Amino acid sequence: MLLVGLGGLGCPAALALARAGVGTLRMIDDDVVDEANLHRQILYGPEDVGRDKLDAAGHALGPVARASGTRVEFVRSRFLPDNARELARGVDLVIEGADNFATKFLAADACHLEHRPVVHGAGLRWVGTAWSVAPGGRPCYRCLFEDVPSGPQLNCDGAGVMGPVVGIVGALMAELALRALSGRGARPELWTLDGKTDTLREVPVAARASCPLCGTAPSILDIDEARYLSDRSALAESASS
Amino acid sequence: MAVTVRIPTPLRTLTKGEEQVSAEGTTVRAVIEHLEQKHPGMRDRLLDEKGIRRFVNVYLGDEDVRFLEGLDTALKAGDELSIIPAIAGG
Repeated sequence: MLLVGLGGLGCPAALALARAGVGTLRMIDDDVVDEANLHRQILYGPEDVGRDKLDAAGHALGPVARASGTRVEFVRSRFLPDNARELARGVDLVIEGADNFATKFLAADACHLEHRPVVHGAGLRWVGTAWSVAPGGRPCYRCLFEDVPSGPQLNCDGAGVMGPVVGIVGALMAELALRALSGRGARPELWTLDGKTDTLREVPVAARASCPLCGTAPSILDIDEARYLSDRSALAESASS
Repeated sequence: MAVTVRIPTPLRTLTKGEEQVSAEGTTVRAVIEHLEQKHPGMRDRLLDEKGIRRFVNVYLGDEDVRFLEGLDTALKAGDELSIIPAIAGG
């Protein structure tokens, strides 16, 4: 499987999946560890500040991955319009924990076009969400959120995020991924976690006939970079900060 | 006629931290207008010129109001609306 982003969500997900013995765990990121990451990105310690996240994650995951027989692979890049479909095509499942909308929509589109299941996760301040989309599945991310928001959006750098919230959501993403790989499929439900009230809810998601990706007359038939440009700055930055 | 509205974390700055608030209205549109009166700024966070913003979802119970009557979805006393925005971060 491919894990997009080794941030607050990707770290706990990677740890759970490496221990689970998922065959090959391919991870994509090109960021370096920052001191501000340490409260939530549990694969890194103070000694890793300034180090490539992939190197630090590989070091942390090595013993458990060897024990479970998981092969850990690294892609030193970003998940971008020109490599998204190829990356999705090369795995059985994609997990994205990106911190920007452009990458989330790109992952949704690439996975749908390549008929790959995808697990989406997000966390901000005290709230987190996760859900799983079947191969070529309906409903998809665009059924619920439609398109890349325009204008400035909150992210972890500006708004902050609670470490335990993304820890729980990252673990839930790993569980959803394992469930999908085991053939138990994806349920059309969005999990929402409210860390202030310790409430975990399942919200049913319905497929939208007018969805441009999975609807009855889809208009998204390939990856067009322009479709993600309203959040261009996010694509140009790390996907996991 | 009062309904309960569950407020997501990103919008609680408008409700002084309240996770759920009461609002009056017989339709989703009317409730949002009442929310705007009580919590200025809420309308702009939920609506644009075309209706409910693309990356915001409003649920009546377990139903996305887009699959009901949208902003014109009728409400009854005691209903619960949930606002679920898209978030990015991790």
